[in-house]
Amino acid sequence: MNEISKDEKAVVIIGSGAGGGTMAYELTKAGIKCVVLEAGPHLKPDDYKNDEWEAFSQMAWLDPRETSGTWRVHKDFSGLPAWIVKAVGGTTTHWAGATPRFLDYEFKALSTYGKIDGASLLDWPITLADLAPYYDEAEKAIGSTHRHGRPPLPANNNYKVFANGAERVGYRKYATGPYGTNAEPYDGRPGSIQDGFNFQGDKHGSKWNTAVREIPRALKTGLLDLRPESQVIKITHDADGKVDAVIYMDKDGNQQRQAARVVCVAGNSIESPRLLLLSASEKFPKGLANSSDQVGRNYMRHMTGSMYARFEKPVHMFRGETMAGFIGDEVTHNPDRGFVGGYYMETLALGPAFLSSFLDPGAWGPEFTAMMDGYANIAGMWLVGEDMPQATNRITLSSKKDKFGQPVAKVHFDDHPNDVAMRTYAYEKAEALYKSVGAVQTVRTPPYPSTHNLGTNRMSERPEDGVLNKWGQAHDVPNLFVSDGSVMTTGAAANPTLTIVALAIRQSEYLAKELKAGNL
Amino acid sequence: MKSKSYSGTGAFFELKIAGQNPKNKEEVSMSISRRKVVTGAITTAAVAPALVAGASQAHAGKAGADADSHALLMRVVRVMYPHARFPDGPYKRTTDAIVEASNKTLEQTKVLADGLQALKAKSFGDLDDAKATEHLKSIETTPFFGQVRGTAVVALYNDKEVWSLLGYEGPSYDKGGYIKRGYNDLDWLPEPRITEI
Repeated sequence: MNEISKDEKAVVIIGSGAGGGTMAYELTKAGIKCVVLEAGPHLKPDDYKNDEWEAFSQMAWLDPRETSGTWRVHKDFSGLPAWIVKAVGGTTTHWAGATPRFLDYEFKALSTYGKIDGASLLDWPITLADLAPYYDEAEKAIGSTHRHGRPPLPANNNYKVFANGAERVGYRKYATGPYGTNAEPYDGRPGSIQDGFNFQGDKHGSKWNTAVREIPRALKTGLLDLRPESQVIKITHDADGKVDAVIYMDKDGNQQRQAARVVCVAGNSIESPRLLLLSASEKFPKGLANSSDQVGRNYMRHMTGSMYARFEKPVHMFRGETMAGFIGDEVTHNPDRGFVGGYYMETLALGPAFLSSFLDPGAWGPEFTAMMDGYANIAGMWLVGEDMPQATNRITLSSKKDKFGQPVAKVHFDDHPNDVAMRTYAYEKAEALYKSVGAVQTVRTPPYPSTHNLGTNRMSERPEDGVLNKWGQAHDVPNLFVSDGSVMTTGAAANPTLTIVALAIRQSEYLAKELKAGNL
Repeated sequence: MKSKSYSGTGAFFELKIAGQNPKNKEEVSMSISRRKVVTGAITTAAVAPALVAGASQAHAGKAGADADSHALLMRVVRVMYPHARFPDGPYKRTTDAIVEASNKTLEQTKVLADGLQALKAKSFGDLDDAKATEHLKSIETTPFFGQVRGTAVVALYNDKEVWSLLGYEGPSYDKGGYIKRGYNDLDWLPEPRITEI
């Protein structure tokens, strides 16, 4: 590994997930030296565990956080607003693998939906056409099935129930992908052995993640200095208001300073705005790059919910790829349904350990037990759709402190009426689907701690509406970039990872050009 | 590294308890760090005995450990999660886990002791299933119920014998996954299309 001096003004990337890991690879590939500061340890496939609780405790971000608001996560899991990963590879370590693209209308939410009470909708400063070539690159990097010649994954048991139900209720847009796990060997990684462990890290390496592709390749260039267990606590700037260094705590708890020419923040939508808020200064009293007061606001987590259905005959939903099943028929803007925006239905499976805790948190008694008792006969799906950005759903700094003495993040969230209407509608559709193939019991599972965290440093055409321009570059600070899902202006219905990767590839191209032109 | 691997479970116990016992929320949310959780008494049915032994010095008490209390608590767990086909083993281990997890602080010990006392006063052990369920329903918002249920749901359904009883096959990677072991053996529905149209 290339060691970069702490005094050398480097390109510093904070985080190594879908955004940070992609930036590290694309920039080093372009000949640019990078330091990656990753808060978590460097886990490898051999370290991953085929066990839900063990894997959770090994890689989940468990640093203290606070919640508030009317969302049910606050009631049931008050210290755990999000279920994301703290390790090299970030949340791509446990991502399921769904890679749908955003649709054209989803980049124009305000124009398409009109003004919605209580929502802070905006159009993106870019269009699908701007992003399309980068979607192609991202799909090839990930190896998405059903795309660019990659074959589909076969039907597993959970998919068979799902797809037959889809057919019977009249859906047509169902398939086993696009999905970021190899059906057959591709790009140096093997085909899936259908081991069913996915949220726990893929020991086989069939699933794309930045710890298995981008980070090792970036290291191979000799231009990456990867520093795991290094948590950034502040970004500093010079008299002109350009960022000049990051302050971080190393694995031994010692404070370090890395000089920076450019900083790319990619710590996910809770930590990234937290870091900008922690970096407040005399020049930026509301937080770094926060003259708009939009840092931390418009927190989105997707309209989610799950439907689990028990049948008379075995399903064994846990066997095979967890989310290799999609229905796209409801991803459309049709306000006749009683809400704006659309949602996907995607297969999902949990083991008994997680299902019991998440199925209906707090539930007990004969009905709950009957469902668990029929575990082998359960099929499951996730409902994931566009939620409304709201200025009051936001990340702020708490009065409580973490182990480094820094204020922890407080996550406030209230469902928008549109989110509630969409969820109710989606539950009804999911029930009808499973009943059409013989479900004897169904459960409406509420949202889990958030896996899709979006929007808290949004891109906007006008500086007063958001934090970043169309390149993910801070309106206020030209050499500060944000490279994760917090850049998203609105959330669309699709799982966000593909779009994060596509945006990062596009951003890295711009950044490399600007660096070479001497503009940064 | 065994202790570390269970810290999340411990954290989760506390998170769940926090959700059900708002009075303790602030204190609990502050305690969720790997280190603090690991040094507390972490208990699942699967926890390493050495860890439990090591942590036991931190116990504030031992409510629920005597035979009568243990039997009563075990009855509570069975009424909460009444799997008719389960033998006593998983319920016993779950009860052990509750006793272990419920004696971390003096406050928890008192909650458990008082809760058990109240159940004894109601002759809970003599109630039939329907009456027992009804009684638990009447106390489900109490700290005692929250404390017991929060641990029980995790310990019971993380029990390896329970996995087997439910038909869950557990770790699969070292067995070659399910590609040759039934990932697509469902035969009561037609083979669906897998490609997009």
